Amino acid sequence: MADSAPKPSSSVKLVLLGEAAVGKSSLVLRFVSNDFQENKEPTIGAAFLTQKCNLPTRTIKFEIWDTAGQERFASLAPMYYRNAQAALVVYDLTKPTSLIKAKHWVAELQRQASPGIVIALVGNKLDLTNDGAAGGGAAGAGACDDDDAAAAAGEDAAGDARKITTEEAKEYADEEGLLFFETSAKTGYNVTEVFTAIANAIPETSLKTNRGPGAAHGARHEQPGIDLGRQDDGASRDNCAC
Amino acid sequence: MESLSDIHWDVVISGTGLQQSLLALALSRSGKKILHIDSNDFYGGTEASLGLQDAASWVSRIEAGGGGGLLKSAAIWRPEDSTGLAASRQYYLALAPQVVHARSRLLEQLVSSRAYRQVEFLAVGSSYVFKPASEPTQPAALVRIPSTREEVFSTTAVSTKEKRLLMKFLKFVLDHDSSPQQETWHPYAEKPLSALLSEAFNMGEELQKLIYTLTLSLNPGINTKDGLAVIRRHISSMGVYGPGFAAIYPKWGGLSEIAQVSCRACAVGGGVYMLGTGIQSTEVVEGGVKLELTSGDAIRTRLLVRASEDAASGMPVIRRLVAVTNSSFDSLFEPAVEGAPRPAVAIIAYPAGSLSTAAGKASEHPVYLSAHSSETGECPAGQSVLYLTTNASPDAQELLGRALDAFLDAAKPSAQQEVRVLTKLEYEQGSGGSSVLITQGPILTFQATTPSIAFSDSVLDPIRSAWKKILGDEAVDDEYLTFSDREGAADDDDDVYEQ
Repeated sequence: MADSAPKPSSSVKLVLLGEAAVGKSSLVLRFVSNDFQENKEPTIGAAFLTQKCNLPTRTIKFEIWDTAGQERFASLAPMYYRNAQAALVVYDLTKPTSLIKAKHWVAELQRQASPGIVIALVGNKLDLTNDGAAGGGAAGAGACDDDDAAAAAGEDAAGDARKITTEEAKEYADEEGLLFFETSAKTGYNVTEVFTAIANAIPETSLKTNRGPGAAHGARHEQPGIDLGRQDDGASRDNCAC
Repeated sequence: MESLSDIHWDVVISGTGLQQSLLALALSRSGKKILHIDSNDFYGGTEASLGLQDAASWVSRIEAGGGGGLLKSAAIWRPEDSTGLAASRQYYLALAPQVVHARSRLLEQLVSSRAYRQVEFLAVGSSYVFKPASEPTQPAALVRIPSTREEVFSTTAVSTKEKRLLMKFLKFVLDHDSSPQQETWHPYAEKPLSALLSEAFNMGEELQKLIYTLTLSLNPGINTKDGLAVIRRHISSMGVYGPGFAAIYPKWGGLSEIAQVSCRACAVGGGVYMLGTGIQSTEVVEGGVKLELTSGDAIRTRLLVRASEDAASGMPVIRRLVAVTNSSFDSLFEPAVEGAPRPAVAIIAYPAGSLSTAAGKASEHPVYLSAHSSETGECPAGQSVLYLTTNASPDAQELLGRALDAFLDAAKPSAQQEVRVLTKLEYEQGSGGSSVLITQGPILTFQATTPSIAFSDSVLDPIRSAWKKILGDEAVDDEYLTFSDREGAADDDDDVYEQ
């Protein structure tokens, strides 16, 4: 808190859902580390990562729960989307069954998750299509911490593997009121845009203010959050009855 | 993909209540092959939190005998005209709305295991004593209990003489293990706390009621030894995590959230989770247990951990009433001191004798009401959830209803506002005999815990025993529930703000 006043910071719990091998973990890896791994091992169970996203008026800290698409009993997802504020439902735009699975997830979220949850439908692996990394997909507003994606080279020549048209998925997303993007975790195209769009779509009222230094010791005493990581034994002596 | 029966499991944990879930957290980095199942289609067992629809189906399952021997007499009430209620999933009605004292080992373990990062904790604010109307000019009132030096000085609820007695007692409690103090209370150790208060401290009945309330005990005859220990826990917890509060409450349904966060940690460590799957049959075999699951799978495991679904006879049964109201009762949730976080929970105690039935019979047991604001996430803004608890008795249902009505009347923000109950859930819950882990060969069983107003650390001991049994020689005591942050999960707030 040395120089300028910090922007308000809020945490957003986000869960990733989708069929196995559509690139959920790769999208997160691109967003969090700006990195990509070919032939990534399947996620076991789930993974938890955090990443900040700087908006003009505030900082959003994403608490990202990445679930295993191969999860056999569909029993994990409920504990991740419970009280989540955002969900990213991912399909592989070269694989029609993955969109069917994505629609199942959207229906389950609409039935079971918090009523105000922001859902983004994401068609991944755009690098395998003729659109490459250049066209296609909606552009998000604003930008997160990462650099703009570099264009993919060489993939286009391999031919167009796209099986799900942008129109088809977009129409479905519009009907259900979902954010919609086509991305490439491999090239980074549109990845940060997805997260920025989600950050912008979370209603201000549903944002919990963080137990950051600014909040915990600030002037406003109404902050309800308690940070167990900041235990203060000195304070206990001042406040107890002895 | 290998099937369930191809894997030789190290441990199958049945049920996702708090104890089983904390065990899963403790084992989350052990590399053991863990299958965690629950016959319910939700997490948390008797510590779950439920939306309105979930609560309705939970009630019908208990009616059909699906709550084991622990839960019974469940009912849900909704008015014909359900105006005012929001969507079912905007509610998280907690089956275990216990508050957790700052000095509880549970919080130490959540911090050392790094699980606390996924939980939002809220302050538990002031406690109040319900003072019934006294003829005819004095209406019923909620009297705030002073439990810090500041509050004792500033309170108008007690006289100057009583303030001195109160200060003397609070000092005594903090030091009650030292030898001069022991001489004072040891003769009373097994006698009711009230005997110590009246004989050794010359306290009148009203002051005794205030002090008794600090125990948060459902037992009106709590003995001096236990009473002093829980009051000390309360006072020494004051200010530990910030000024003006002694206990905290996990957002989104209390202990239910702790159970879920623990299961998530185990899943991140590779544990396999199945909801809606119970155990059909168990057979102890060479090297472990053969299980047939309700899903039809036959599996083998080295060890099975489960929780007893039987209430111990002769142990207290509690009765609960959960009510959602259309008022936020803002004045209950004022911070106790300057700079304190805004509390989300307030506790109101009705000492034995302060309520009576329509037939004029006075209450024999205390009643507690925990008021939760919408900050807990358990209801939408502008509403509140009230959790009332007392010992089960033929009059308990009526007395809880009376306590609710009395609260609505005494805490009403203004005479004009109509305060309504939007929905009610009620049930009885039995408790187990002791907290010792039962070991029968490869089967470990947690006994039913005793529902209380404040979380009791005795719940934690059998979890550690189970952990030791499962890890055997690999168990290192100092490493129990002590983990570093997983990669990518660290909280880096300081980096952003400090420069």
